[in-house]
Amino acid sequence: MTERFSFDTKKEFLDKLEELVKSGVSKKKIDTYTPYPVHEAEEMLDDTQSPVRFFTGAGAIAGCIAGFAFTIYTVLSWPLVTGGKEIVSVTAFIIIAYELTILFGGLTAFAGFMFLSRLPVFKNVFSPEVEFSPKFEIVIKREGPK
Amino acid sequence: MNRREFVRLMGLASSASLLSSCGLERETEKLIPYLVPPDDGVVPGVSVHFNTTCTECPAGCGVSAKVMDRRAAKLEGIETHPVNEGALCIRGQASISTLYHPDRLRHPFIKDGQGDFQQTTWDNAYSIITDALKNASGDKTGSGVDPKPRKHVFLSGRTTGTFSEAVDSFCKETGVERLPEFEFYPYSAIREANRILFGRAQVPSYRIDEADLVLSIGADLFETFVNPVSFAAQFGRSKKRSSFGWIHLEPHVSLTGLQAKERHTIAPGGEIYLLSHLLREVSKVNVAGDRHIAGMAELLPDLLPRGFAEKTGLGVETLDALSRRLIRARRPLVIAGGVSTMQPSGLDVAVLTGLLQWATGMLGGTVRFEEAVDYDRVGSFRDVEQLEQRLESGDIGVLFLCRVDPFGTTAGGSGSHTLVKLKDNFEKATLRIGMGEFMTKTLEMCDVVLPLSHTLESWGDARPRGDILSVVQPAVEPIHDTRSDGDVLIQLTRAYQGAATALSYQEFLIGRLKVRHGSATIEKLLSEGFVKRRVEPLTVTLDRDALTHHLRRIIYDDSHVKPVLVVAPSIRFFDGRSRGLPLLSEIPDPLTTVSYGGWVSISEATAEELTVKDTDEVTVSVSGWKTALPVKIQKGLPRGVMMIQWASHDDTPFDFDRMSGEMMTIYEGAAIAKTGRSVAIPALSGSLTPEGRKVIPYLGEEDQHHHGESEGHPTFYPKHEHKDYRWGMVIDLDLCIGCSACAAACYIENNIPVVGAKLHLDGREMSWIRIEPVYAEEGDNVEFLPMLCQHCENAPCETVCPVYATYHNPEGLNAQVYNRCVGTRYCSNNCPYKVRRFNWFDFKRPDDKNATVNPEVSIRGKGVMEKCTFCIQRIRGARDTAKDEKRKIKDGEVIPACAQTCPTNAIHFGNLEDETTEVGRLAKSERAFQALGFLGTDPGVYYLRGVWKKVHG
Amino acid sequence: MDNLEDKIAYHRAVEHDVLSAMKNPSPLYWVGLLVSAACFALGMSLWGYQIWKGMGVSGLNNPVGWGVYITDFVFWVGIAHSGTLISAVLFLFRARFRSAFNRSAEAMTVFAVMTAGLFPLIHLGRTWFFFWLLPYPNQRLLWVNFRSPLMWDVFAVSTYFTISAVFFFVGMIPDLAIAKRFHNGVRKWLYSVLSLGWVGSFRQWKHYSKLYMFLAAFATPLVVSVHSVVSWDFAMSVLPGWHTTIFAPYFVAGAIFSGTAMVITLVVPMRKIFRLHHHITIDHFESIAKILLFTSLLVTYSYFVEFGLALYSGNVYESGAFLYRLVGDYRYLYWGMLICNSLVPLTLFVRRWRRSIPFLYVLSILVNIGMWLERFVIIVTSLSKDFDPYAWGLYKPALVEAGITLGSFGFFFMLFLLFTKLLPVVAISELKEVADE
Repeated sequence: MTERFSFDTKKEFLDKLEELVKSGVSKKKIDTYTPYPVHEAEEMLDDTQSPVRFFTGAGAIAGCIAGFAFTIYTVLSWPLVTGGKEIVSVTAFIIIAYELTILFGGLTAFAGFMFLSRLPVFKNVFSPEVEFSPKFEIVIKREGPK
Repeated sequence: MNRREFVRLMGLASSASLLSSCGLERETEKLIPYLVPPDDGVVPGVSVHFNTTCTECPAGCGVSAKVMDRRAAKLEGIETHPVNEGALCIRGQASISTLYHPDRLRHPFIKDGQGDFQQTTWDNAYSIITDALKNASGDKTGSGVDPKPRKHVFLSGRTTGTFSEAVDSFCKETGVERLPEFEFYPYSAIREANRILFGRAQVPSYRIDEADLVLSIGADLFETFVNPVSFAAQFGRSKKRSSFGWIHLEPHVSLTGLQAKERHTIAPGGEIYLLSHLLREVSKVNVAGDRHIAGMAELLPDLLPRGFAEKTGLGVETLDALSRRLIRARRPLVIAGGVSTMQPSGLDVAVLTGLLQWATGMLGGTVRFEEAVDYDRVGSFRDVEQLEQRLESGDIGVLFLCRVDPFGTTAGGSGSHTLVKLKDNFEKATLRIGMGEFMTKTLEMCDVVLPLSHTLESWGDARPRGDILSVVQPAVEPIHDTRSDGDVLIQLTRAYQGAATALSYQEFLIGRLKVRHGSATIEKLLSEGFVKRRVEPLTVTLDRDALTHHLRRIIYDDSHVKPVLVVAPSIRFFDGRSRGLPLLSEIPDPLTTVSYGGWVSISEATAEELTVKDTDEVTVSVSGWKTALPVKIQKGLPRGVMMIQWASHDDTPFDFDRMSGEMMTIYEGAAIAKTGRSVAIPALSGSLTPEGRKVIPYLGEEDQHHHGESEGHPTFYPKHEHKDYRWGMVIDLDLCIGCSACAAACYIENNIPVVGAKLHLDGREMSWIRIEPVYAEEGDNVEFLPMLCQHCENAPCETVCPVYATYHNPEGLNAQVYNRCVGTRYCSNNCPYKVRRFNWFDFKRPDDKNATVNPEVSIRGKGVMEKCTFCIQRIRGARDTAKDEKRKIKDGEVIPACAQTCPTNAIHFGNLEDETTEVGRLAKSERAFQALGFLGTDPGVYYLRGVWKKVHG
Repeated sequence: MDNLEDKIAYHRAVEHDVLSAMKNPSPLYWVGLLVSAACFALGMSLWGYQIWKGMGVSGLNNPVGWGVYITDFVFWVGIAHSGTLISAVLFLFRARFRSAFNRSAEAMTVFAVMTAGLFPLIHLGRTWFFFWLLPYPNQRLLWVNFRSPLMWDVFAVSTYFTISAVFFFVGMIPDLAIAKRFHNGVRKWLYSVLSLGWVGSFRQWKHYSKLYMFLAAFATPLVVSVHSVVSWDFAMSVLPGWHTTIFAPYFVAGAIFSGTAMVITLVVPMRKIFRLHHHITIDHFESIAKILLFTSLLVTYSYFVEFGLALYSGNVYESGAFLYRLVGDYRYLYWGMLICNSLVPLTLFVRRWRRSIPFLYVLSILVNIGMWLERFVIIVTSLSKDFDPYAWGLYKPALVEAGITLGSFGFFFMLFLLFTKLLPVVAISELKEVADE
């Protein structure tokens, strides 16, 4: 059983949220739906950092390592001299590693977001009723009869 | 067995089953003979060499034809041949493309009533000819009765050796009159002069390699004169002697002149004054013992030094120095020829030169009649005039024309000279029989056209010089229904006589040679391609009476009217006969870098007066002849002298000297006027001057970019390790004469497409090696820089290729992997030497031309970058041989096509890693530099600075 | 907007205005779309013709191996960059006015990179082997040459495209969810799928904000690296006029300059046609104009530095290359470039002109032309006359190249026009957020 509050403005929404939190409703049971990110609500309900950053960091580091490892592996697998440069021309490979750092970082960040937000929500995708509301809403989940 | 081997075996198995399953296919049938060991001696992929003789011009260079899979792939000079010493000129290299030329005549033709050619059989053609021969020679069974008996005549180009005998015997048997032979360059002035002087109407051989001072007057030694390859080769050797000097005088600018140590511009017609001056000075000192010419020198004009200077256009000091050096020289050589003997006073020039040669003791030494060049049967234009008059008077019955094209280059346009008249009266012969390989303008006017075989399909012999006998032997089977000229004559004789069978010309030739030289000589001749015979020294006596008579007749005409038009001989087209070879138009003229089409060279002063620049069109006219041509400004050309190249376009002016019968090359009183139009001419060079750039480092700066320096060039990168070889090239700029033979050899060897004028105008020529003329900003000195892939150790092109289509191989080659190339063209952009060539289109060859393809080099498709590979196919061949013999490749074992054909041996190739090799040594020379060495590319091509011209004294 | 009613009304207005722009295309729109598509089809046909016949149908030749195609490539990559700048860099700097432009700027980035990406393929002599540029394991056991700047291009441009596309998409997820609410039928289904079932829950917004920040943070150095890499295609060569250390910053500044101009070129008509005057205001344009002026000054400075270095070097090849630009065969193009990129933008010092939309529009087109000329002049003059005077030669673009260039504009505008009717052209959620602050 859920309890739902709906507001037209951010101020009303925040006021009610503050009231609910102060009244002792468990933060874990409160969910909100807003037309844009409301950082005040974030501070009130869950001020931990989003773990997206770990995904991003891991991806970026992996990309950097992959960039160097891949380029060095390929030149060593068939060492061909071009332009009198060294077989392992690290300077040139930095650029590849740099691009891969960003590519992997960006993609894992996106993947992390999808994973953490449990997106895509297939139930919502194919239900025309569930919509992204222009209103500010607070939903409180209460233990109901099973 | 690993995966790769497995796949390979599978592939083998499947293609084998494919082969057996489609046995009815025509393509497959062709393959079958190769599955069993060939019994005709043709091993697929293995080349055989036939030694024969080049017939592209009369010089008679010995060539070795490479034949692979029954196809002739390349011509190269015979290393030991005394004429060309292993080299070939641009024309000789290109001549192989006539063999498979799509325009070659493939059958005999006769003209029908409408004047169109119809294909016919040889027998039919023979019967028409024999009927005509019999008919007009008195057999009056036919209805058309001739009022007077007509004479049958046989006119051919210069013949030599046994073929000349075959002509004689044909003419005798069939009652045909043999006319003096037709050549545009008959050297008749020189021969006439020698007849007057010594009673020998011959062209002697000139020995540059034995002279310590060469004084050449107008002679285009490296373009067309007698045997250019031989002169270039001798010159190349002579240049290395410290005592060797060369002074050249000419009224215009020629490739030859630019190579001389000293070049002077002489006023047109001033040659007789110069020679008079020299003779007078020589007569004052007794140079050669008993050869007094004092009496005769009296007959020469006696001008003060100032007077001579004025008439010749040379300074007093120059004249003085010339005579002093000539007198001081121990073994001098004076040659007059080319434009100096092909002008109104040409005969006088030749006579005075002959006298000078005699007076300074050159005869028997540097000028040799014992090794005279065979021009004995060649006539002059006086003979052509006679033929024309006989035709006009209806005297000629059957007219045979064998390998002559008098109308090809000049009779097409304006003018009313002898050749035009000859053309107009051509119809008056009862039957005209043309023999040749192509439908030339002359053959088009014939009634019967007999297709001749190419040299590489024929038997024959040649006597390029008195002491040399050279053989012509077939390298391939005749491709079309053609016959060799000797066979045609023998068969015609037999047909005339009604005999059923005829001797082949091969049997005739061998028979004659056997009688004359014996079997042993013939064996040597066939295997080596030539035999050199000992000749007895000849005593030449001066006919003083005839000479005195001539000297009295010389008219010292100094009313020369400027401007003067010089029709210079062309290194590419010879007398016009080589014009049909596309490759010769593809390779640019070395002086102007113009490839296709004609142009007129004018001096900088004239250009200023007319306010014209390159590509502006002008009309040029001389008595009765007029044409419009684009302008090309030629540095070093004196004011008032214009120059066009003989046969460079369709309508060249023509006239001949009545005294000597020699074609005229200098026309006075020429007029030039601007038309206001501009014509695009494919001049391949962006700029002829260095523009402040130092591709060839400036004098005095060479040490900066010297080899030692570039090795110490600061670098981040490790030095290359080369296990056995680092292939490299050394090109001596002192020896490069700009003749462009290397370029032609490269085109043929590497299957480089000939792309034509339009693509040249678009800047898309495909040459892998090019001759860059570098005109000094000041003065008229020119250096020729052969530019090819430099095979840089630190090649800028390699780094930028994203797919490794170009990389550095372990032997120092800048390898180009055609199959891998995706065509970004980045490599070409980044090449400082711009030697990479992109395939802008699929350059398809006409079907027949596919046969000219060198099977050892792959054909590149569209979208692929290509370039010089140092003839990697030859390196690979040498490596295979060396491997079979379990040794390393020896120095000189690999010779790229360009180096092989270089007449002066300017190009050396070998292993730079080994300091004992020739290139290893030369690269360490004081003169060595690397082009654009300051870029740090460390090229594998070293150039040796040209210093010879700069060293005086 | 202090009044509560106003705020609610504004939220509704934003949704309504933006989403109604997606409906009922006008005849003018159809004409525009058809013309663009026709141009694109023409370009593709000409490309086919070029593949069939060979690169010879272009005007390229021996010294000048790159011409219009590479010019177009650099031009389009440059156009792409300011899109990223406006959306990512201004986001990091918390510049409010970006919300009006950022969606179209991001779209522009993605489409411009797509267009740019065509040109390296078009200029290949053997396009059908383009995949050899990709490092994939193959039976030849041959990889690609990572030392080649072209390989860096492959990585930089494909990374750029991927990250920009992700950034574009992520920014659009909430708006797609709004669009879903406003549509029926196929389009509803389309927006449902694209919005991934977004409902704007607390957790979604929390991770979304973080992701958006990271993507913006990645896009910023990426944009710098991409155009640096593009400039290194030239700077890594040995060619005088290309081989210069200033190229990377110079090209990045130039890219932002040209891209900013392109934003104006695109947004002005869009604003008019979709009646977005309330949401994209004159103040917004003035801010953009300031960026334009600033980058113009940077670019002008680069021109001076480049020239000064060459002349001061005392190196005949360097100074020759630059004098050739100034007075050589292509001088009119060079002078045109200076007028468009350096002289005319100086007028933006005047506030009145900065705020005149017609003036800005004309100026932006001039800058686009000037920047195209800049790339052309850099590429062609340097190749035309380099080290060896014998090899010098001129390049004249052929009709095929002009046609393919036109085709690239067709492709870009076709995509952009489709975008304006298929996707929300302004960031609705962001505008709401900004309005509430």
